[in-house]
Amino acid sequence: MHRLLRLSILLMGLSVAVSGYAADAPQPTLTTEDDLGPQVVQPIEFPHDRHAGLRNPGDPLKGGMEIDCMYCHTYARRSAVAGIPPLQKCIGCHQSIETVRNKPRIQELFKYWDAKKPVPWKKVHDLPDFVRFNHERHIKRFVEQQNRPTQEACGYCHGDVKQMTVARRSKALSMGWCANCHQKDHPVTAAGGTPVGNQAYWYGFQKPVADAAGGEYKAPDTNNIKAQGPNDCWQCHK
Amino acid sequence: MIDSGLDRRDFLKVLGWGGAAVALSGCGNTSVEDGKETVVSYVEAADYVIPGIGVYYNSTCAQCDAGCSINGRVREGRVLKLEGNPASAINRGRTCGLGQAGVQHHYNPDRVREPLLRHGDKNEVITWDKAYALIAEKLSGAKGDEVAFLSGGVSGHLKVLLGNYLDSIGSKNHFVYEALAPAVVRAANKKAYGVEMPRYNINKAKVVLSFGADFLGAWVSPVHFSQQYAQFRKGVDGQRGVLIQVESKMTLTGANADRWIPVRPGTEGILALGIINALGTASGDIAAAVKGYDRARVSKETGVPPGQIDKIAALLKLRSPSLVLAGSAAEGYAHGSQNAAAINLLNQVLGNVGKTVEASTSVPFPQMAPAKGNTVALKSLNDGLAAGKYKVLFCYAANPVFTAPGAMKFKDHLAKAGFKVAFAHYLDETALQADLVLPLDSALEDWGTQVPEYMTEGAQINIQQPLMEKLHANTRGMGDILLALVKQRRAEEYKSFDDYYAYLRGAMLLNKNALGGSGADDDTFWNETLTKGIVKLAGSAGTLSGKASAAGLTLPVPSAADVQYPLQLIPGVTASLRDGRHANQPWLQESPDPLTTIVWDSWVEIHPKKAAELHITEGDIVEVTSRSGSIRAQAYLFPGIHPDAISVPLGRGHEALGRYAKGYGANPFQILDAVFDQETGELAMHETRVKVSKTGQRVVVVKDEGAAGGKQMGRKIAVLVTTDEVDLSKEA
Amino acid sequence: MSVSNLLENWAQFRHFHPIDDKPHDPYKWAMSIDLDACTGCNACSVACYAENNLPVVGKEKYQHGHGMHWMRIERYWDEGLGVAGGSDFPDHGAQFLPMMCQQCEAAPCETVCPAAATNHTADGLNSQIYNRCVGSRYCSANCPFKVRYFNWYDYPTTDNVWPAEMNQQLNPDVTVRSKGVMEKCTFCVQRLHAAKGTAKNEGRLVHDGDVQTACQQVCPTGAITFGNLVDHESKVHKQWQSQQVELDKDAQVKDQKEGGSGLRGYRIFEELRPYPSVMYLERVRESAI
Repeated sequence: MHRLLRLSILLMGLSVAVSGYAADAPQPTLTTEDDLGPQVVQPIEFPHDRHAGLRNPGDPLKGGMEIDCMYCHTYARRSAVAGIPPLQKCIGCHQSIETVRNKPRIQELFKYWDAKKPVPWKKVHDLPDFVRFNHERHIKRFVEQQNRPTQEACGYCHGDVKQMTVARRSKALSMGWCANCHQKDHPVTAAGGTPVGNQAYWYGFQKPVADAAGGEYKAPDTNNIKAQGPNDCWQCHK
Repeated sequence: MIDSGLDRRDFLKVLGWGGAAVALSGCGNTSVEDGKETVVSYVEAADYVIPGIGVYYNSTCAQCDAGCSINGRVREGRVLKLEGNPASAINRGRTCGLGQAGVQHHYNPDRVREPLLRHGDKNEVITWDKAYALIAEKLSGAKGDEVAFLSGGVSGHLKVLLGNYLDSIGSKNHFVYEALAPAVVRAANKKAYGVEMPRYNINKAKVVLSFGADFLGAWVSPVHFSQQYAQFRKGVDGQRGVLIQVESKMTLTGANADRWIPVRPGTEGILALGIINALGTASGDIAAAVKGYDRARVSKETGVPPGQIDKIAALLKLRSPSLVLAGSAAEGYAHGSQNAAAINLLNQVLGNVGKTVEASTSVPFPQMAPAKGNTVALKSLNDGLAAGKYKVLFCYAANPVFTAPGAMKFKDHLAKAGFKVAFAHYLDETALQADLVLPLDSALEDWGTQVPEYMTEGAQINIQQPLMEKLHANTRGMGDILLALVKQRRAEEYKSFDDYYAYLRGAMLLNKNALGGSGADDDTFWNETLTKGIVKLAGSAGTLSGKASAAGLTLPVPSAADVQYPLQLIPGVTASLRDGRHANQPWLQESPDPLTTIVWDSWVEIHPKKAAELHITEGDIVEVTSRSGSIRAQAYLFPGIHPDAISVPLGRGHEALGRYAKGYGANPFQILDAVFDQETGELAMHETRVKVSKTGQRVVVVKDEGAAGGKQMGRKIAVLVTTDEVDLSKEA
Repeated sequence: MSVSNLLENWAQFRHFHPIDDKPHDPYKWAMSIDLDACTGCNACSVACYAENNLPVVGKEKYQHGHGMHWMRIERYWDEGLGVAGGSDFPDHGAQFLPMMCQQCEAAPCETVCPAAATNHTADGLNSQIYNRCVGSRYCSANCPFKVRYFNWYDYPTTDNVWPAEMNQQLNPDVTVRSKGVMEKCTFCVQRLHAAKGTAKNEGRLVHDGDVQTACQQVCPTGAITFGNLVDHESKVHKQWQSQQVELDKDAQVKDQKEGGSGLRGYRIFEELRPYPSVMYLERVRESAI
């Protein structure tokens, strides 16, 4: 009976008027493809490739060191934010790496350290303030539960950082882009986690439907449903 | 919680942002352009500091003296919110609105940031060295008894250090002043029970009869009493507690009473004696003393119907134990001591002493026990200033230029002091009169210990510790300033203490065994103490003297109507603004007064009947004139006030104290007459008589209350039932 | 997800209403407020300002009804006060009522939003999405409780709302709203998220007591109970059950009992069928005095 509450006649009239207007207005396209962000100038040109890239067995001085992302971005598995490592962490290693000690970048780094000033890094992957994204949740799922390599898991959103020097945004990080992934592959239940058996999920973007035999809930065919309305916007918006 | 293996000092260093701007993810308008915002990392970070996750530190709320323990949420080096510390027996994890606004004291944009030398209205920024040198210079030209120190209530190590400093100067002139302290009640309690502030067990009482004690609002330890009140309502043995409030102006507690009884101002004691008479259980000198207070006379003098007196007596007889409280409304008269004595006598007649009135405990370090403020101190300081006795005056945690009754002419007398030093967080009215203003750390940046006056279970020493790095580089902790000053005079004795932190730590470790740390090594004990934020002690219990006596009890017959000043002025004490020191915290300014729902302004409470008589309607700007002066404020028609009285809330009407306080409302302290309690010499706050006249101006009262004026118009919104309609035993 | 798409298929969105579908698994957040314990002290309201980045609008804007108190204390007097035959004085004190968004199950605000900016979540909250809100204010007009607050100004850039240093107090877990959007009590959804995250890490559901709303945590008399109505061990469930208040009823069975049920639980404006998630317990006054 509560279905009756859904639509008032008044709203019906209104929606016709508004949608008429809306149809004329240009609609922004969903951005789901890779989308390269601007090149950001950092105070120190940090070479991600040198730290996280693959080793070069032939010439160790040219290749990377295959350092795990979370060796430095250690907060990612424990907090909503991945964080920039404290300066202490950089110095911890670099004070004993004599070979690069006189490189200008490292000298710059030690200048900050001696002055006990943080490096004013520029934010590369910035989300609007009204978005709640939790690194911890994603690391828990992909790295801890599904045993995917860290670089692969981080790479879903951050791109192939091990090939970059200064990190550059390579994914859209738009709502449509997030939703795309969740709709296709990762529906989430109210309690969190993947739906099991008959458990309905609520945090996807469509209503789950049971098949005729009353078996497993499945996401409906996205091509045949026009409305993919928000359900629990608060899952990601704050 | 802090990892006990870490030194607290290290943590504070770690918090340093190195002067760089902090990226505030929750602030301002959204920017989603990559590479525009700076993201600042820590230079060094302890393991437990994780960006995005709050760290919690225990400390002590400094918004009033009740001593509630707080738990501050700190994220990315900023304190965001204060919660109550569940381990404290005083507030058990709760706080009041005042406590919540503690962060606005800390982040207040109008804090004093540099030492200021004042020339008339001009400020000259000076260095701390120069400030200290100036104080030394001025002190060298003054004898010990020419130096006075005015402070609010102080306790703990700060009190010890302050005592030592005054001792080094050779001054005995420490004036401890609190504008709203229950000083008359303390004295009356001392006489009746042998202790100044016994432990009240509201939760064990079946009936609470309160004579103007606003224990849910602003009286003594409101958060603690609120918890007792919740238990009291659930009831002892399943019987829901009954609250009867007797007062001339409804307080928050009165608004929660089962029966609110408007009594003619000043006749609270007469009603108490009338109830003793009606009980008929007293004997000896008490029976003799109350003999004349029969129903007819008491009813005539107090304005309480005879049937009501009988009902109260019958209920008190039927339900025992009960608890009778004497509060600020009863003590605020020239015969305030007598009022309080009569009310305490009722407690004794009812046999509540030892049951709901119990002996209090105190810390085993008398030198740390709180120096309790009162208004006698203000009077003697004022007299001394008037006589030009003082060459140097220090002022800390008190704002007498704002809170002294207008009739005392405190501001004029203050000008006669040679050199005035104010230790201040903000430029308040008193700091503006000072020659030297020294900026203080906020309560969330400073170290300290605090001993509450009102103890609950056992005794406790509360720890105050910084929740974050200082906001302003040039503010100092009060302890650090006192240490620097005492070093000027006794360098040798204090040379081992680099700062107040070292002094505090040293002093606590010295008494480690007595503080429950026997066997623990110093660092462990200290870190655990800071982690907990409270040192709980068995405490030394006082003893109650339960002997009831009516000796010396004389209550004046209510005076005849004053033709020139027909109304009694009752200064309203609200839970959020109190004596006005919090008026610069905007959350409190915009928090509606619970009873009138008015925000951001003062008002004159007047009974609708009296208002009709005077042709006053809501929003009329009225002039309230006493023998000592006059103020103007908007009229608010309020049914919870005796028709022969009006009430103006205290706390607003600042001429200084920053953007959120200055210029909002009127200050009724200004028009208070200098009348004193005959026994204690305390200021009789309720003894000012006034007249009210319309000015012809009108405003729209800014309030939350709707046009229906607090009526539900037949809708079922806030529902009230009587005890005979419900069965509370069925509840979960 | 264009606007036209949304509007054409509005019923699809509403179809998610938990009442007529698989309801509330595993959470349904609800509250109960004991008006006999509430003293009207306003601590909850101030705590809400502290937790949820509420702007202090100042006297002038407050006069225009722009106060942003998500949690407000309403004060009522006895109906008989000051009228013929009644008393001149409030003999039974005042009646205080903490009023905030009732998180209605069939929320009147949701149906009228032209932008679908306010929706129902699976755990029974009425969500408000600031970045989706276009500021039509229909929701506020349709709210029987008047607990929705509109940003008439851009408070982050308004003088003396969050001047330097004050802005450092802002809670990063909660958005600072800008001009033109509606806002309201969220049952401290940021705290719910944090609690769910912790519970998830430990492989369990959120237990009763794991999470408190800011108003509940501060309340000096413990008048506010908050929790998961689905969890039979939760205090809030026990209270609703013992008071025989059922979430999906527009009139409670116990209220039809002759002579009254002797129970205190009720929901405000239940008869309008918003199915509020907040149960109040009636204020009690002694009949013997």
